[in-house]
Amino acid sequence: MTRTKLFKYGDWGIYILFIVIVLGLPLVMTDVFWLNRIAKYLVYGMLGIAIALSWGYAGILNLGQGLFFGLGAYMVAMSLKLQSYTSLQQGSDTPVPDFMLWNAEPGAPTELCCITSGSWLWLPFQAQWFGMVMAIVLPVILALVLSSAIFRLRVSGVYVAIITLALVLLVRLLIIDAQPITNGFNGLTDLGWLTIGGFEFDPYLVSTYYIVAVSICVVLLATRWLVSTRAGLILQSTRDDPNRSRYLGYDVAAYQVFFFTVSAGIAGFAGMLYVIAAEFASPSFLDITFSISMVVWAAVGGRSSLIGAAIGAILINTIEATASETEMFREAWKLIIGVIFVAVVLYMPRGLAGLARDAVGLFAQTRDSGKTRTARSGAPAE
Amino acid sequence: MAAALTIDGLEVDFGGFKAVDGMTTVIDEGELRVVLGPNGAGKTTLMDLVSGKTPSTAGEVRLFGKEITNWPEHQIARAGVGRKFQIPSVFRDLTVRDNLNVAVSHEPRVFRNLRLGMAAADRSRIDEVIALTGLEPVLDTIAGDLSHGQMQWLELGMLITQQARVILLDEPTAGMTQAETAKTADIILRLKGAHTILVVEHDMAFVRKIAERVTVMHMGKLLAEGPMARIEQDPAVREAYLGSGGVH
Ligand SMILES: Nc1ncnc2c1ncn2[C@@H]1O[C@H](COP(=O)(O)OP(=O)(O)OP(=O)(O)O)[C@@H](O)[C@H]1O
Ligand SMILES: [Mg+2]
Repeated sequence: MTRTKLFKYGDWGIYILFIVIVLGLPLVMTDVFWLNRIAKYLVYGMLGIAIALSWGYAGILNLGQGLFFGLGAYMVAMSLKLQSYTSLQQGSDTPVPDFMLWNAEPGAPTELCCITSGSWLWLPFQAQWFGMVMAIVLPVILALVLSSAIFRLRVSGVYVAIITLALVLLVRLLIIDAQPITNGFNGLTDLGWLTIGGFEFDPYLVSTYYIVAVSICVVLLATRWLVSTRAGLILQSTRDDPNRSRYLGYDVAAYQVFFFTVSAGIAGFAGMLYVIAAEFASPSFLDITFSISMVVWAAVGGRSSLIGAAIGAILINTIEATASETEMFREAWKLIIGVIFVAVVLYMPRGLAGLARDAVGLFAQTRDSGKTRTARSGAPAE
Repeated sequence: MAAALTIDGLEVDFGGFKAVDGMTTVIDEGELRVVLGPNGAGKTTLMDLVSGKTPSTAGEVRLFGKEITNWPEHQIARAGVGRKFQIPSVFRDLTVRDNLNVAVSHEPRVFRNLRLGMAAADRSRIDEVIALTGLEPVLDTIAGDLSHGQMQWLELGMLITQQARVILLDEPTAGMTQAETAKTADIILRLKGAHTILVVEHDMAFVRKIAERVTVMHMGKLLAEGPMARIEQDPAVREAYLGSGGVH
C-alpha cells in the first residue's frame, strides 16, 4: 500500500468509524438526558463542518456564523412556538404566543394578525413546514446577498471577519429590540414539539436523537463530496492564490459566494436541529462568544478537515459538560480551552486532524523503511 | 498571417506618470515575440494592461480581432490570454497534480464543476504537459515545496494546460541556473507555433536562443521593433541601454 493510499483508506476509516459510533450510540447510551445532550453536541459538530468548509477550504474566516445559526433557530422556533400549548390558551381560535399578550398594544385584538405591531409576520409560521423551510432559505438568501457584496468588492482576510462579526452583533440587537415579535432577551421558550405525520418528536426520544445523528452524517458526506469535486478543488485554489485562479479564467467571487452560502445553509440547518433538541431559541445564539467558540472548535479539530472540525466540536463540548459538573473545574476549563486554542494556532495549525495524519505518515514511513531493510537483506539470496 | 494580439495606442496614467504611453504593436498568430527594455520601461505594466490586472486609461487591446480592453481578468483569461508572473505564482498548498487539474479551465462555472474527475481528453492533455515539463517525479509534491525552477515550469505547464492561445511570460528565467534556463528555452521553443507567445526577458543569451522578432520598449513607448540581429545594431536601442551598460 502506498502512502497516499494509506491516507485515503485511513480517511475513509475515520468517516466510517464516526458514522458507526454516531448511529450506534443509542444502543449503549440509555440515559436519555445524555443522549439529548450529545444530540446538541452533534449540532455543534455540524457548525464545525460549516466553519471548516468556509475557513479551511475557502480561506474565509466567518466570525459571524452564529447569525445563520440563530436565524435558522428562530425560524423553526416561531413555528414550534405556535404549536405550543401556551400559544393555544390565549382565548383566540388561532394560536397566539403568550409573550405577545404581555407586549400587546392596549385594546389590540388577541389575534396573530394584529396583536402587536409586526405580529402578522408570524402568520405563515402557523404551518410547521414554513418555519422549517425558512430555517434554511433565510440564512441562504442572506448569505447570498451578503457574500455577493463582500466578494465582488474583493474584500478578504480579516475584513471579512470584521464585517461578519459586526453583522451578527447588529442582528442580535435588532432581535432584542423587536421585543413585541421576538420576546427580546428572553428568546422563544416553551416550544411545542416537532410533529411529523402525527408523530411528536419529544427531544428526549431516541427518534429525535436520530434526526440529528442522521443529519450530521448526511451533511458530513455531502460536504465531503462537495470538496472532492472539481469545484471544491478550484475553491481551494482561490484560497491559495486568487489572482492565479482569475488568470486561469475562474470567477473567484462566484466560488467564494457559493461555498460561503452553502456554509451558511448548513449553519441554518444546524440552528433548526438545535431548537428541535433544545426546545428554545435565544439571542445568545448570536452572541459573539458563541460564533468565536465555533471557530475554536474547528481550529482544535483541524480547520482543513471537515470531520476533524466536527470531532473537535463534539469532543470539546462533551469534555466541557463532563468537567463542568464540578464548579472549580468549570472556571478552569475556560482557561484550558483558551490555552489549547493558542497552542493549536501556534504549533498545530492543522489541529487534531493534522496530528492524526502525521501519525499515519510516520507509521507509513517506519513500515516502508522496514520493508527496504528486508528487501536489502533478502537480496543476496536471489 | 492573422493578428493574435493587437496593442493599439495603449496607455496608463498613474497620477500623471505614464508607465505605458501610447504603446502599439501587433503580434501574429503563432509568433514568439520577445519584449526588451531597461528596468522600469513598462514591460510588466504592459502585461498588466493586456491581462486586465491594471485598467488602461487610453488605447485598445484586441485578441483575434475581438476587443478585450479592460475586461475583468477572468474574462480576458477565458478569451484566451494566459499569464505567467515575474514572481512564480502557483497554488502553493496544492499538489503539482492538483495545480494542473485546476488549470483545466475550459469550463469555469461553479455548477458545471460540481462533479468528480474529468474527461479523458483533459487527462491526456495533462499527461502531455507533464511529459513536456518533466514534472513526473514531483506530481504528488506540494507546490510550495518545489525548487524555484520546478515552480516556474509548473506555472508554464499550467498555461499550456489552460490552452491559452496567447501566453504572456514575464521573465520566465529569472533566478534560474544555466541548466534550468536552457530547459525553459526548450519548453518555450516547443510551444512556438501552437501558442502565440509574448516574453519579457533580460537574459540576452536566452533571448538570442529563442528570439525571432523583438520589440524594445523605453519609457512606456515603442522604441524599436524587428529581427534580433538588426535590433542589436540599432543606435537608438544602444542609447536607451547606455545607463544599464548596453544590450548585454
Ligand atoms: N501601480 C503603479 N503606480 C505607480 N507607478 C507604477 C505602478 N506600477 C508600475 N509603476 C511604475 O511604472 C514603471 C514601469 O514599471 P514596470 O514594472 O512595468 O517596468 P518593467 O519594464 O517591467 O521593469 P523591470 O525590467 O524592472 O521588471 C516603473 O517606474 C514603476 O515604478
Ligand atoms: Mg518587470
